[in-house]
Amino acid sequence: MRAYLGFELRRLARDPRLLFFSVIGPVATYVIFSGWSAGDRLEGLAAPVAVMIGVAGYGAVAGVLMVGSAVSQERAAGWLRQLRVTPLPAWRVVTVKAFVGSLTAIPPAIAVGAVAAIQHQVALPAGRWLILLALLWAGTAPFALLGLAIGYGLSPRLAVPVNLLVFLVMSVLGGLLAPADYFPPGLRALAHALPTYRYAELGWRSAAGHLPTGAGLAVLTAWTVVAALLAAWAYRRSTARP
Amino acid sequence: MVMDDMALRLTATSRSFGAVRAVDGLDLAVERGSVVAVLGPNGAGKTTAIAMMLGLLPPDSGTVTLFGGTPAEAVRAGRVGAMLQDGAFVPGATVRDVIELARALYPHPMDTGAILTAAGLTGLAGRRLDRLSAGEAQRARFAFALAGDPELLVLDEPAAAMDVAARQAFWTAVRSYAAHGRTVLFSTHQLHEADDHADRIVVLAAGRVVADGTSAQIRAKAGVPDGASLDAAFLALTSSSASGTGQ
Repeated sequence: MRAYLGFELRRLARDPRLLFFSVIGPVATYVIFSGWSAGDRLEGLAAPVAVMIGVAGYGAVAGVLMVGSAVSQERAAGWLRQLRVTPLPAWRVVTVKAFVGSLTAIPPAIAVGAVAAIQHQVALPAGRWLILLALLWAGTAPFALLGLAIGYGLSPRLAVPVNLLVFLVMSVLGGLLAPADYFPPGLRALAHALPTYRYAELGWRSAAGHLPTGAGLAVLTAWTVVAALLAAWAYRRSTARP
Repeated sequence: MVMDDMALRLTATSRSFGAVRAVDGLDLAVERGSVVAVLGPNGAGKTTAIAMMLGLLPPDSGTVTLFGGTPAEAVRAGRVGAMLQDGAFVPGATVRDVIELARALYPHPMDTGAILTAAGLTGLAGRRLDRLSAGEAQRARFAFALAGDPELLVLDEPAAAMDVAARQAFWTAVRSYAAHGRTVLFSTHQLHEADDHADRIVVLAAGRVVADGTSAQIRAKAGVPDGASLDAAFLALTSSSASGTGQ
């Protein structure tokens, strides 16, 4: 399993497109969006901190979903079949994929944090930065699984647009770009049911020094379970074909 | 447990896709240490049969055993290496990356240098897989199949994209691999490859074995003279079978 993990990490490091989407995109978004609301308070935080966490989450979700759904191309190319005729068990392939996907949450979180510190002098105690980073990593579980469900369930022709659609709908309606505080009540209620909002909420509450909410953890857990079931179903379906 | 002297055994194996019977009551046993070619026109069931041998596809009926156990057990134990017809590699990795991956996955791998030499990839170890020519990529897939030094190599149309020199080097590597008592099963459309490199030729048509033996026996069965090309024998065998089974 270590060899396969190393193999996947080397591949990830060699793919500059991923770095572009997961780092440059959120950094540019932060620089533009954080200026508009600099004096506000959002989610119980100074706006530059709240927007930092939302945009870092936006970059993280983009990267994690993209790695998961790239499985579609590996499947279509026959690589996953090739791995199935080696001693490497299939569940390890899936585990490594989900783990490597979740790691892509880390570069955008660090990059956006650094820009926030420079542009708006956002300052948190060192321990709180680390906890924030850990939460932004661990909270990607439902998205890593959702990406795998798309990757195992759909052909590359469909996986790319579906992935983009899921990403845009979830990140916009989940309040990662425009804060859900600005939404009309109906949309705000919808945002609160989405994993993207609850994922960012982990970060917002942690930065404010609060524990996660019970509702937030419940929503995240429910989405994680549903995404895991979907991914397992899509995986089994994909291996049933010749 | 009884030791099976067969590397591979398919017994009355069938597999359908919808209304199409891709493999239809196939019986085939391959002795350890032999090199067997599987021939057949497109749609004869070669790739389906290979998928069942490797445990990628369960048969609808009949049994498949590798070394007396299930295909999954043999694959898990690292006794099988395979080159699939569409087993392309993923972008972002180098030739060396995939060879080292295969070496780490199998219990008794070959040396990296020996693998690169056997597959004719010595100068290409640092090359990214997405920047290889079709023939080079096929050699890299051979290297991946060979790296674990498995007891059985299954190769689905292994040399189709290779140029003449690469093809010659490839078959030399296959022969030297088999010379150590290991088993090779390959499918091909190049009849002279079967003629030149296999101890035994199995001709499939409509999912069944229509001829099985040395190339001389195949010619005799088809009723073509000994010096005639295997193509003539192949056409005689597979066309009569196709018309015999109807649709």
